[in-house]
Amino acid sequence: MGQRRRGGTQQFMPDTQSCPPDTPTSGILRCPGYLQSQKHSICMVSDFFYPNMGGVESHIYQLSQCLIEKGHKVVIATHAYGNRRGVRYLTNGLKVYYLPLQVMYNQSTATTCFHSLPLLRCVFVRERITVVHAHSSFSAMAHDALFHAKTMGLNTVFTDHSLFGFADLSSVLTNKLLTATLCDTNHIVCVSYTSKENTVLRAALDPDIVSVIPNAVDPTDFTPDPSCRDNSKITIVVVSRLVYRKGIDLLGGIIPVLCAKHPDLCFLIGGEGPKRIVLEEVREKYQLHDRVRLLGALDHKDVRDVLVQGHIFLNTSLTEAFCMAIVEGASCGLQVVSTRVGGIPEVLPDELVTLCEPTVSSICDGLEKVIAKQRSGKAPSPAAIHRQVRTLYTWRNVAERTEKVYNCACGQPVLPLPARLQRLRSHCGAVAGSIFSFVAVIDFLFLLLLQWLWPDHLMDVALDASGPGGHWERGFWKKKGKNLNAAH
Amino acid sequence: MAEKEEEFTDIDGNPIKLSCQNYSPFCREFTVSSAKLSLLRVMMFTSIVWLLAYAAFYVTQNTALLSGAIFVTLIGMLLHVHLVKVDHETLLLVDSLGVQLSSTYASGRESTSFIETSRIKDIVINEAVHMQTIIYYLCILLKDPVDPHGISTVVPLFPVGILSVHPGTTLKPITSQLIIYTKPLLY
Repeated sequence: MGQRRRGGTQQFMPDTQSCPPDTPTSGILRCPGYLQSQKHSICMVSDFFYPNMGGVESHIYQLSQCLIEKGHKVVIATHAYGNRRGVRYLTNGLKVYYLPLQVMYNQSTATTCFHSLPLLRCVFVRERITVVHAHSSFSAMAHDALFHAKTMGLNTVFTDHSLFGFADLSSVLTNKLLTATLCDTNHIVCVSYTSKENTVLRAALDPDIVSVIPNAVDPTDFTPDPSCRDNSKITIVVVSRLVYRKGIDLLGGIIPVLCAKHPDLCFLIGGEGPKRIVLEEVREKYQLHDRVRLLGALDHKDVRDVLVQGHIFLNTSLTEAFCMAIVEGASCGLQVVSTRVGGIPEVLPDELVTLCEPTVSSICDGLEKVIAKQRSGKAPSPAAIHRQVRTLYTWRNVAERTEKVYNCACGQPVLPLPARLQRLRSHCGAVAGSIFSFVAVIDFLFLLLLQWLWPDHLMDVALDASGPGGHWERGFWKKKGKNLNAAH
Repeated sequence: MAEKEEEFTDIDGNPIKLSCQNYSPFCREFTVSSAKLSLLRVMMFTSIVWLLAYAAFYVTQNTALLSGAIFVTLIGMLLHVHLVKVDHETLLLVDSLGVQLSSTYASGRESTSFIETSRIKDIVINEAVHMQTIIYYLCILLKDPVDPHGISTVVPLFPVGILSVHPGTTLKPITSQLIIYTKPLLY
């Protein structure tokens, strides 16, 4: 056992002599073994990961799995969730670092810029990371990681998952932070063209370094099943969090209008949130208890079982970067009606979705049309819709395109400190630029201090679970991995 | 009785020595010993404390400060030698009996604990966040008396002399050796 492990690690031993001597900090980190084999050692950083549930979390997980399948090494860094801290392994040797960083607000860590440096440096050095991939602009840890990675001389990629305004205070502050962290990020990924436009404007970026890679759904999870439908009536399904952003007030306006016109119409609403009270009031006022069913919070695995019960999927969002829900609805073979906001018009071809303006009357018109189509039997069969959607968005495709982004980012030079400071000053304005330059200098000095206290060469090189020379499939982990997991 | 001695460094880069003794095919002992307390460092700390005391004495003209400084250095040194400075740690493995862990402090104080074989589930190399770094360490997993498949406690071995792995050397020669040696012994 000892022999095998020895062989596995020596294969990719960092050889400082063959590394380009561009910056002193990057010497040991640039691992030639990875660059020669065209494989990357990727660290995904975000505040949001399992056990928290949502779009960003599943995006990171699915993307990582597909990249591992392609032979890259992937580790994930996030903050500790309650009892879940330390190092964990998920399927196929996906390694997750739950770092003990203090959570401030809404599962996001504090942005002090410095307190996360020792641990993140440790992760980057011991895993011999070549690309740092940060996710979500809501995540302070992602911003920190981009900043520290640049200080350490690593290439960075950022994925933005949401649309932002420009007017309120929190947006103004986040946008300023985003400008500073993205101004020397090598490449940025957005989930739709609308999101790209938004990000370019918010962070004052060159549009050439922003790519669009949409999200994906697992088509095998969302298969149609017409036998679950009750064909004596028409069911409209809504699955979303019940919050203002998702247009629940509009939904509250639509329900009484349509229910009065069509006696065989019923609503099935899944999800939980502060706007639930609006729907309950409507149900009470118009005596629609038998026709509007509120299911409450749904687990991700139960979503499909709810979707297949309906004929029409309704999405009333007021803002959306890329709507996963309508793809899931269409994949289950439902007719989709949605508001025309944000990136939604890009998501599905016109024959699969009916788009309306975000007003009660427009959505009612759209729904009427679809209901008429459904009654006349002209609507395409669920199986036909599923076949069409199945090939549109797959995670393998997303991983392939992300791989190209990594290749492109890895070819770019990392700016040395003086050039980086100049860029910060010219990009972020005089005042903010100076502040961020100051922070960058302090960060650099802090890194020097850490390198003196805990030199890189004393840090243990971690055993690769995934990637070239990964130990996951070689039988070693089958015996030991179980115990390592359980020990935390 | 075969004895081997090798030199390694711990995670802070300080040199440590590992020696393993084979008393019989069923009994082995591993000892990790760290460097002795260096006279230079002791003198440096004492002189810093005393210089500070003299500076305070110069300002306040109170002789109690000087005697206080002498007591502080003496008691500090005693406590350090008695509670902090570990001279060597020993791991004694006896087949079908168990594992004995003992650490000897510089003052000669010894703390020993014994774990019988029936309580041991496995010996593994674990990975954990320790202070501001992430380290590998060797540990014993103890069985949970209630749930036969569960783990109740993780006992780290050699907590002071945690070994470092250099990129240049082979991966964890000592720990992999231990794993190879302990396996047939314990099962």
